[in-house]
This record gives sequence, structure tokens and C-alpha cells, in this order.
Amino acid sequence: MYKLETREANLFYGAKQALKGISMGIDANAITAFIGPSGCGKSTLLRCFNRMNDLIDNTSITGSFLLDTEDIYRDVDVYQLRKRIGMVFQKPNPFPKSIFENVAYGLRINGEKNKTLIADKVESSLKSAALWTELEGNLKRSALSLSGGQQQRLCIARALATEPTVLLMDEPASALDPIATAKIEELILELKNKVTVVIVTHNMQQAARISDKTAFFYLGELIEYDETKKIFTNPDKEQTQNYITGRFG
Amino acid sequence: MKRGNSNLLTLKDSAFKYLGITCLVIALSVLALLIWDIFSRGLLRLNWSFLSNLPSRHAEKAGIRTALAGMISLLLFTIMVAVPIGIMAGIYLEEYGRKNWFAKFVEINISNLAGVPSVIYGILGLQVFVRTAELGNSLIAGAFTLALLILPIIIVATREAIRAVPSSLRDASYGMGATKWQTTRRVVLPSAMGGILTGIILAISRAIGETAPLLVIGALAYVPFIPEGPKDQFTTLPIQVFNWTTRPQATFIVNAAAGIIILLTVTLILNSIAIYIRGRWYKKISY
Amino acid sequence: MTHLQQELDQLRNSLLEMARLAANQLRKSITSLLERDEDLAHEVLFTEKRVNSFELQIDRECELIFALHTPVAHDMRLVFSTLKINADLERIGDYSEGIAKLVLMGGRNFDDELISKLSLRPMFETAYRMMEDITVAYSTDDSRLARSVYKRDKELNEINHAASAIVVAYCAANPDKIAQALYLLSIIRKLERVGDHITNIAEDIIFYKEAIVLKHTPENHGPEDSGI
Repeated sequence: MYKLETREANLFYGAKQALKGISMGIDANAITAFIGPSGCGKSTLLRCFNRMNDLIDNTSITGSFLLDTEDIYRDVDVYQLRKRIGMVFQKPNPFPKSIFENVAYGLRINGEKNKTLIADKVESSLKSAALWTELEGNLKRSALSLSGGQQQRLCIARALATEPTVLLMDEPASALDPIATAKIEELILELKNKVTVVIVTHNMQQAARISDKTAFFYLGELIEYDETKKIFTNPDKEQTQNYITGRFG
Repeated sequence: MKRGNSNLLTLKDSAFKYLGITCLVIALSVLALLIWDIFSRGLLRLNWSFLSNLPSRHAEKAGIRTALAGMISLLLFTIMVAVPIGIMAGIYLEEYGRKNWFAKFVEINISNLAGVPSVIYGILGLQVFVRTAELGNSLIAGAFTLALLILPIIIVATREAIRAVPSSLRDASYGMGATKWQTTRRVVLPSAMGGILTGIILAISRAIGETAPLLVIGALAYVPFIPEGPKDQFTTLPIQVFNWTTRPQATFIVNAAAGIIILLTVTLILNSIAIYIRGRWYKKISY
Repeated sequence: MTHLQQELDQLRNSLLEMARLAANQLRKSITSLLERDEDLAHEVLFTEKRVNSFELQIDRECELIFALHTPVAHDMRLVFSTLKINADLERIGDYSEGIAKLVLMGGRNFDDELISKLSLRPMFETAYRMMEDITVAYSTDDSRLARSVYKRDKELNEINHAASAIVVAYCAANPDKIAQALYLLSIIRKLERVGDHITNIAEDIIFYKEAIVLKHTPENHGPEDSGI
């Protein structure tokens, strides 16, 4: 059984078709990478899984998207969905609040009032994001005083606070320097045990380093989807090979 | 050949620079002259009795107490009416409204309203509040009229402040399962608050100086009592000053000058607060 | 510890296991000759399959590390060297198998006197010590220890060189024992080849550690050629 699945998914921005007949299943507790040149639809597909495309006017979707075999557009309330699926964006976007309040945000909007519970969950989320020891003393500081890499890990902690089972990451390290990127990658590998990770990346080496399966998209279509080992040693499709060897895109 | 060209360019550069400085000096000199004129006339008149006395026919005994009281009461009522409506209208238009041609139309019109001569508001207020609603020339009618006047300023400031909040913050909030109202209340508004406050303060400092609309709705020039309730008649400091300047005695001119100094000081303080808040706000939200 | 480091450690461990396997094959094959133990020779033949499949496994590990991690600098040199050492170890395994087959062909007919004339036991002991040392050198990144095998390889070459004359003389004196003499000569040849492969491994270790390529340089491998 797949953790996430799409069947014959099509997405239109107005008249323009951004996704063409995508069918694929994402394994639980695995890291799946979406790669492909700009505009190929990988971010669009990612955002379908937590219905973030609903926020954009004039989009229409056909086909089905499933989380744990439930149809997320028909059978699941969108707010509940986004609590079960966390998202991390390309540019770190912590709220202009304290570190503590950032991580506690998800709990507070759920109506959680118990202070000890909130404090405990904030601590465990920061630990999961490998930030606790760096920050422990000073959670009242503004989140904006952290470095870029720390801010992004804070965003990850924030997403993890509601204990989602899936984490969607849209080029999470592309705005960071190599050392911060390495830390994020290490973190993602550690998170694999607790969550299913889907990561969009334009950095192929990153996909090769950390993912279990890789999906290659081009112009809205899913070209090839297989074990990362296979894709990077001997892909089936020539298009895939041309892309990962840097011959185009 | 080239050297000749660069000399000409440098010359043009300097010429423009000096032209700019000259204009600036002229403008500032005029301002300096005005301020010097006012201060030299009225500074000595400022004392506690000036602030606490009721108006009188004798210039030495006349004070601005009722004018101050009237101004403060008027402002309070105006704020109570204009701020909630203005902020909520701004939130609705920016966050909830559909972005179609009608919305654009509304936006343009609101911006235009901010530039309408204030006396027009006075005429509107006279007909609607004073006569039709039978509120008379009371504080409450004045408050409604002024509220209408500053409402566009507050709405525009609110919209600008909300627009300045990066959409990445909203994305982060929605991504965690927050509803639109939760996002607006917990993320957008706190981030926009600095800009909104700035807008409110600037609106107030505009309202303080308004004379024409209040005169039209019938604010009195000579009010020897302190207004006690919203239905009472009132006067404000600008009107008091205006009244004094129409008197022939020279001593009243001194009073007027003193009153102007008070007005200028208050406006300056308010604007400084606004600038301070805006400065801190920009620092806080710029990434 | 990064993901890559774990993969590299795993690769090293795989290669060390392969090295021990090859060394054992060598030891068993010669022991089966010296002690006339046919069972031991059969064991060597049987284990050869494992050696081959291990080689394929290490090849695949190296391929995956290159494809998925694109290592650079000394990480790249490690994987590069390991890939080549893997091939040399597999050849050593092949030679051990060859020796075992010759032992089985010769049966009980080997002449101890000829064996000692040929200095086969010292040759084997030197080769086996070289195997041990090179394994330690890989495990501890000890390029000095790696260099120490060159001098000993020369000893192996000398024994090999002298072997032909000895065998010719023996065959002339013992025409009924020509077969087993020829088998012994073949075994000597194979041991000499094992020594060559061990020096190849030494060069690969030095390349990994110092980024120096010593292949195809003249006999004298420089003043570091100390031997221990």
C-alpha cells in the first residue's frame, strides 16, 4: 500500500495544462525525489498532495490523489489534510515571532492550550530538527535572528510539531550554502524513520545522495520513476539519461 | 576630444547638484521664516494660564482649554468610529475580496477619496449627519464627518501594510492547516500592525488640523464651556486660532501664534511617533 | 557521520573481507600441497565461487558510490583504488584455485626434495607475509608498509627465475617424475604472478594515500623502497 498515490492526475492553470496523466505511488518511510528541468511540473505535483494549489485561482484538477488510500479532494477536510502533511518551502519562511512561538504555531491553531504539552512538543520537534542543543537556552529570541540554515531547520521543526506522517519539501536547500545544505540532508535522512519524505530538487546530486526512489518529470509528464540506484546507474529512458548527465535542461 | 566631453559632463553634474541645493535652501528658508515668525510672536505667551483658561474677550485672559478639550473629545470619537471600520475594510478588501475589475475600481476610488478637498466632507456631513440624522452641530456629527475624511487614509494604509506581508508567510500558515481567519489574525495582522499604526497616526495628525469641514457643520468659534457629551456643541484648536486671527486687536494675534505653536508641536510629536514605529516595523519584517 | 562516510567504511570492510578470503585461498592451496591434503584442495575449489561473487559485489558497491555520491579528492581515490585492488584480489583467488587444481592433478607424487630445492616453502611464506602486510596497509592507510612489498617481490622473482634450471636438471635425472616437476614449476610461476598482483595492490594503496602514480615506473621504486 502506498502512502501517497495519484491516479491519472491532470492539472490546468486556466487553459494551460501543467500535469498530464500522472500516475504514481509514494512508498511510506522512504525518501522520494522529484527531478526535472524548470517548469516540468514537479513543484505543482508536490503542492497537489496538500492541496496548496487550491489557493491559486483558476486551477482545475482531474484524477485522484490519495493519502493512505483516502481521496484527499473528496473524502478529507483540507485543514485536517494539511495537519497530516507538513510542508517546507524553498526560502526559509519563519514567522516574525520568537523561536518558541514559531514551533508552537501548529499546536496553537489546533486549539491546544496545555502549556506543558506545548513546551514538550516544541522541545521534541526542535530535537528532531537537530536544533535543540544549538538553541536550548534562548527560545524567546526572534526567529529572524537565526542564520539561513538554522531558519530552514526551524521551519522543518515547525512542520514536524503537529506530527505529520508526510513531509513535502520544495527545494529546501536551494537557498542555503553547502554546509547548511549538508546538515539539512543529514536531517532528512534521519527523519526517514518517522515520516515519508517527498522532496523536489533541481540538484540531481542531492537526489542521488539521499533519495530511495527518484521520479523524472518533463513538460508535465512523468517520464521515469524507479529506484534511485537504477536511475543514476542505468536509466531506462534516454531522456532521463540526457537530463541527469547534463545534456539538456 | 574625450577629455572635453568628460569636463562637460562633470559640469552638468555639478550644475544639477547646485540647482537642487538652491531649491532646497529656498524651500527651507521659507519654512524657517514662517516658524521664526510664529515663534517670535507667540512663544512668550505660552504659559499654564494660556493652556487652562477659558476663552474670553480679553486677550490676556483667553485660553485654549475648551478648544483642547473639544479637540481631544472629537479625536477620541473619530478614532473610535474610523479605526475599526477602516482596518476591517482594509482587511476585507485585501485578504478576502476577489481580485476582479470591480475590486480594482473600488481601490482607485478609495485612493481618490483621500485627495478630495476636506470641505466637501463638511458639506456631506452637514446634510447627512447634522440635518438628516438630526444630530445637530454636535461632537458626534463632527466625529462622523472627520471619520469619513480619514477613513480612506486608514484603509489605504491598512491595505499597503497587509500587502507588504510576504506571501511566503501566508503559505507557511496555510501549509500547517490554518484557516484564512487564523492566518489573518495570527500572522498577517501582527506583521502588518506597524504599518497600520503608522497609517492611523498619520490620519490623526491630519484630522487634528482640519478646520474647514468642522466650520461647515457648524462647530462654533466661541465656546466658553467644555463639552460633556457627544451631543454637545464644541470647538477645536484650529477653529479657535482662526477665530483669533479675525479679531482686530494685536494681542489676539499673539494668542493665535501661541495656539499655532501648540498645534505644530502636537503634529510634530505625532509624526515622529509614526516615523519611529514605521522604522521599527520595516526592520522587523524585512528579510 | 555523513551518508557517504558510512558507504566508504562499508566498502573498506568489504574489501578487507575479500582480502582475507584471497589470503586464505592462497594459504590453503599451498598447504594442501605441502601436507598432501586433497580435501583442503577441494575446499579451495569450492570457495572460488564465493571469491567471484564477492568481486561482483564490491564492483557494484563502487559503481553505486560513484553514481550516487560523486566522490571527489581522497574519497574518489579510495573508491578508484578499491575497484582496482578488487580485481587484483580476484586474480590472486584465481591463481590459488589454479594451484589447488595442480595439487589434485599431482596427487601423492610430489617429491619433497624437489620442493625444497625449488625453495617453494620460503617462496610461499614470503608471498603470504606480503599478502598479510598489504591487507594491513590497506586497512590502516599505511603507504610505507605498502612500499615494503617491492623488495620481497624481487625475492619471488629470483626464485622463479632459478626454478627453470632446477626443474630441467631434475627432469633429466628423473625422467619418470617429469609430470609432477612440471606441475611444481607451474605452481612457482603462479606464486610469482601472485607477487606481481600484490605489488599492483601496493601501487593502488599509494595512489589512494598520496595521489602518486607508481605504475610502469622503472624497477627501482625510489628511496622509500625500504622493505621491513
